[in-house]
Amino acid sequence: MFISRMNERMRLVLVIILFVFVIITLKVFYIQVISYDKLNNYAKDLWSRNLPLEANRGIIYDRNGVTLAGNITTTSLVLIPNQIKDKEQTAKLLANILKVDYNDMLGHVMKKTSIERVHPEGRRLSNDIADKINNLKLSGVYLVKEAKRNYPYDTFLANTLGFVGIDNQGLSGLELIYDKYLTGSYGAIKYFSDAKGQRLKLSQIYEQPQAGMNMSLTIDFKIQEALERELNNAIDMYSPEGAWGIVMNPNTGEILAMASCPTFSPTNYQKYSLEQINRNLPIWMTYEPGSTFKIISLSAALEENLIDLDKDHFTDTGSVKVAGATIHCWKHGGHGTQTYLEVVENSCNTGFVNIGFKLGKDKLFKYIKDFGFGKKTGIELSGEEDGILFDTDKIGELETATTAFGQGVSVTALQQITAVSAAINGGILYKPYIVKSINDPETNQIILQNKPTKVRSVISNATSKKVRYALESVVARGTGHNAYIADYRVGGKTGTAQKVKDGKYMVGNYITSFIGFLPADDPEVVIYIAVDNAKGVTQYGGTVAAPLARNVMLSIIDALDIEKRTNEIPKEFVYLDPNYIKVANVVGLTLKDAKKKLKGFNIKSFGNGKVMYQSPPAGIKINEGDTVRLYLQ
Amino acid sequence: MNKKVDWLLVLSIILLSVFGLIMIYSASYIWSEYKFNSPYKFVRNQAIFFIIGLIIMFFISKVSYTYYYKYSKQILMLCIILLILVLIPGIGTVRNGSRSWFGIGSFGIQPSEFTKLGLIIFTSKYVTTHKKLLPAMLMTLFVFAIIMLQPDFGTGTIIVMTIFGILFINGMKMSLIIKLGLVGISGVVGLILVAPYRLSRILSFLNPWSDPLGSGFQIIQSLYAIGPGGLFGLGLGNSIQKHFYLPEPQTDFIFSIISEEFGFVGILIVACLFIILIYSGIRIALQTTDKFAKNMAFGITFGVAFQALLNLMVVVGLIPVTGVTLPFLSYGGSSLLITMTSMGILLNISRYTR
Repeated sequence: MFISRMNERMRLVLVIILFVFVIITLKVFYIQVISYDKLNNYAKDLWSRNLPLEANRGIIYDRNGVTLAGNITTTSLVLIPNQIKDKEQTAKLLANILKVDYNDMLGHVMKKTSIERVHPEGRRLSNDIADKINNLKLSGVYLVKEAKRNYPYDTFLANTLGFVGIDNQGLSGLELIYDKYLTGSYGAIKYFSDAKGQRLKLSQIYEQPQAGMNMSLTIDFKIQEALERELNNAIDMYSPEGAWGIVMNPNTGEILAMASCPTFSPTNYQKYSLEQINRNLPIWMTYEPGSTFKIISLSAALEENLIDLDKDHFTDTGSVKVAGATIHCWKHGGHGTQTYLEVVENSCNTGFVNIGFKLGKDKLFKYIKDFGFGKKTGIELSGEEDGILFDTDKIGELETATTAFGQGVSVTALQQITAVSAAINGGILYKPYIVKSINDPETNQIILQNKPTKVRSVISNATSKKVRYALESVVARGTGHNAYIADYRVGGKTGTAQKVKDGKYMVGNYITSFIGFLPADDPEVVIYIAVDNAKGVTQYGGTVAAPLARNVMLSIIDALDIEKRTNEIPKEFVYLDPNYIKVANVVGLTLKDAKKKLKGFNIKSFGNGKVMYQSPPAGIKINEGDTVRLYLQ
Repeated sequence: MNKKVDWLLVLSIILLSVFGLIMIYSASYIWSEYKFNSPYKFVRNQAIFFIIGLIIMFFISKVSYTYYYKYSKQILMLCIILLILVLIPGIGTVRNGSRSWFGIGSFGIQPSEFTKLGLIIFTSKYVTTHKKLLPAMLMTLFVFAIIMLQPDFGTGTIIVMTIFGILFINGMKMSLIIKLGLVGISGVVGLILVAPYRLSRILSFLNPWSDPLGSGFQIIQSLYAIGPGGLFGLGLGNSIQKHFYLPEPQTDFIFSIISEEFGFVGILIVACLFIILIYSGIRIALQTTDKFAKNMAFGITFGVAFQALLNLMVVVGLIPVTGVTLPFLSYGGSSLLITMTSMGILLNISRYTR
C-alpha cells in the first residue's frame, strides 16, 4: 500500500521532469527559430571585423573623353592591434620604415580598437615602402589597396576642377560642387574574428567598393590646352599680375575652355596661397571692361534702329563735354568724320558717347541688363561674382556717356563672353554651363544631362548679323587687326581698361582684353582673353590680348576643323602689318610675265620654259614677300 | 535475481557519454591549444575517465546493492571526513574560487560528488527503517553546510534537492512542503529587503542586456551561441562562440556549443537521450519491490535529472547562472566517474526488478 503511494509520487516527479524538459525545449525553439534573425545579427556584429576599402572617385572627362581627373591605386597600412603579437618589435620595425617616432607608432600598435590607421604617414605608400612592410610578414599588419585622385595633366583646368583631400573628398571647384556624385562608397573585406581579435579561417567576404559617377565636361581638351599655353606665354612675356580667358560655343552656352593664371597644382594644393586656389579669375574678377563693352551699346543702338552703320556719320573732334566734364577720345585730336562703322572700327569713344545719348539711359541700361550684366550668369561653379552697375536713380548724363564706351561698370569675363555670344548668335542669351553629363560608371546610364538653356531673346537675328559685320570689320580694318586670320572671318573687339583702386584710376595699369569670334557668317566659337597689367609692352588690347587670341583661334580652327570661308571682308593693311595677297594664276605664262603678275612675292624658279606648276596654287592668300615656287618646262 | 541487462539504459548512457566526448573535443580544442599547446588535453582526460567509468560501472553493476544497505553509515562517514579534509589548505586545492578538490596531477576529484551518492544511500536506508523524516533532513542540511564552506552552491543545491526528492516520495506531507516553500520564499524576500540590489542581480537573467559585461555576460554569450545555430546548426566543429567568446565552453555551457553546431534538431536528440535515461531510471525504481532499492534508484535518477534541468535552464536563460555542469556531456572527471558509478548501482538494481 505504501509502495503504491511511493510509485504514485515517482510518476508525478517524472511528469514534472518531462514538463520542464518541454519548457526548456520550447525556450530553445524560441531562441533558435523565433529570435534567430535578431541574435544572428547581433552575433555577426560581435564576430565580424571590417577592413574598409576606398572606392574609385568618378572620372572627369573633357567633351571628347579625355581624362582630366582619374584615379591611381595606392597602398595604405592598416593595423589590427589585437592580432599583433610582438607589439614593441612591430612598432620598432614600422617606425623605422615609415620614419615615424617610435612612441607614436607604439601608441598606434597598442590602441584598443579593432582597426587602426597610421595617418598620414601610413597612407599612400610608395611601392618601395609597401614592399618593405610586406616582406616583414608581421601578424596584424595589413596593406590595403586604395584609390587616390590623380590629375594626369597637373595644373590643367585646375581652378575649375578643384582638388580633393587625403580621404578623396572634394575640397574645391567641381570636385566639391559635385562631390555627392563623384564620391563612391566604401567597400570592405569582412571576416570573422575570435574574441581575442584573431582572424578566423571560416569565412571572408569581399565587398567591392562602388566607384563614383563619371562626369563629362563641355571643355575641349585641345582648346583648353591652347588657351593655357597662350596665357602662360603671356605670363612669360609680360609678367602681368594675372591673365585669364574663356572659350564658349555661342550657340549653346557651353564652355569649351576656361583658364586662370596664375594657377596651381591640385596634387600639391597645400603649397599655394588660398587666393591662388580659390580665385577662378574668369568668374571671380570684376573690372571695367573698356571697349569690349561697346559691343553692347552698338547692339542696342542697332536693334533700336538709331544708327545706320554705313549711311549715318559722326564727327569726332577728339573730345566731348558732358555735364561739365570733358571726355577724350583715345586718339589725340580725334578721328574726324566717320561712318558709324568706322566709329566701331576705330573704337572711337566720343562716337560711342553719341550712341549712348541716342539710346538714352533707360534703353541703354535695359539692354545692359537684358544682356545679363549685373547678376551672376548661373554657371555651376562657385565663387562667381555679380559685377556692379550704376544705381538706376544715380544715372545722369555723364554715367550714360561713360557706360556707353565701357567705363563705370564692373563685369566679369564670363558675363562679357555670354553677352557677346548673344549679340552675335542671332540675339539669344544662353546660360553658360560646363558640365555636360554625369553617368553611372557601370551601366553608363545618364544620371544628369545638361542642355542649352535659353535665358531670353535680346536682339533680333537681323541686328545680330549687323553686329557681326561691324565686328568682322573691326578685325579686318580696325583696332582688332592683330587677330586677323585669313579666310576664317574673325570678328572681334579690343578692350583697354584702366584699373580702379580706392575710387581712382591707376596710372599705367590696365586690363587689356580682346573678345573675338569666328567665322563671322556663322560663329562657332567666341573667345575672350584678358591680361592684367602687362609689362614691357604698350598696354592696348590690340597689342597684348589680340595676338594671344589669334593663336588660340588658330588652334581652335584645327581642333574643331572649321571650314575656310570665301566672302570675307578684305583686310586693310596698316604700316608694318603683314600684307595678305591672293596668289595669281601664272600657269602657262613665261617667267617674265609671271614675275610681273606675282609682284611683291619672292619668286624661286626651277627649270626653263613656261610655268607648268606653281606652289602655292592660285587663290591662296599669303604674306607679301613670301616665297612662290615656279616649275618651268 | 533477474539476469537481464537494461539495454535501453546502457545505450542512452553510452550515447550520451560518447557524444559528450565529441562535443568536449569540439568545444575545447581552441582553449586547450591556447592554454596547453595541445588541442587534445581536455578530451584525452575525459576519455580516460570515461573508460575508467565504464569499467567501474560494469563492476558496480555486479556488486549487490545490499552491501550499501549494510554499510550506509560508514560510507557517509567516509564522505563527510573527505568533505572536512578538503577544506584544509594544503590538502584541498582551490579551483574557480572554491576549495573543493583533491588534486592528483592534472586530475581533480571532488568529494562533494561522492557525498551526493553517499547521502542518497544513507537517506534511502534511513527512510526505509525509520518513520520520521526530520533527522534525515537535518543530516542533509549538515552536509549542505559543510559544502557551503568550500563554497559550492551548485553541488550543495543538487544534494539538497535530491534528498528532498527521496523524502517527497516517502510521504512528506503536502502541508510541510508548502511550509518549507513559504520559509524559502520569506527567506529570499528577507535577503532582498536587507539588500535590494540582490533583486536586480537575480532578475538580470530576464534581461541580460541590462548588464552585458557583468552578470549578463555569460548568458548573452550563451544566447549568441544558441541563436545562430538555428534549426540545423553550423555543423560539427563550426562554432564561433567557442573561439574565446564563451568562457570555458567545454564545462557549464557545453549545451550552448551543441546548440550552435547542431541546431534545434540536435537539441531535440540530446533531450530525447536524457528523457530515455531518466525514464529508464524511474522505471527501474517503479519495478523494484525492495523499498531501499526503490529509494536509491529514484534518488540516483532524480539527482541526474535535476542537475541536467538546472544546467539547461541556466544555459537557455530561464534561471540565473548557478554553475552546474551537464551530466555526461560537460567536461569533468570526478563528476563523470560518480555518475557512472551511480549508473552501475542503477543497473544492479534493475537485475532485481520484476
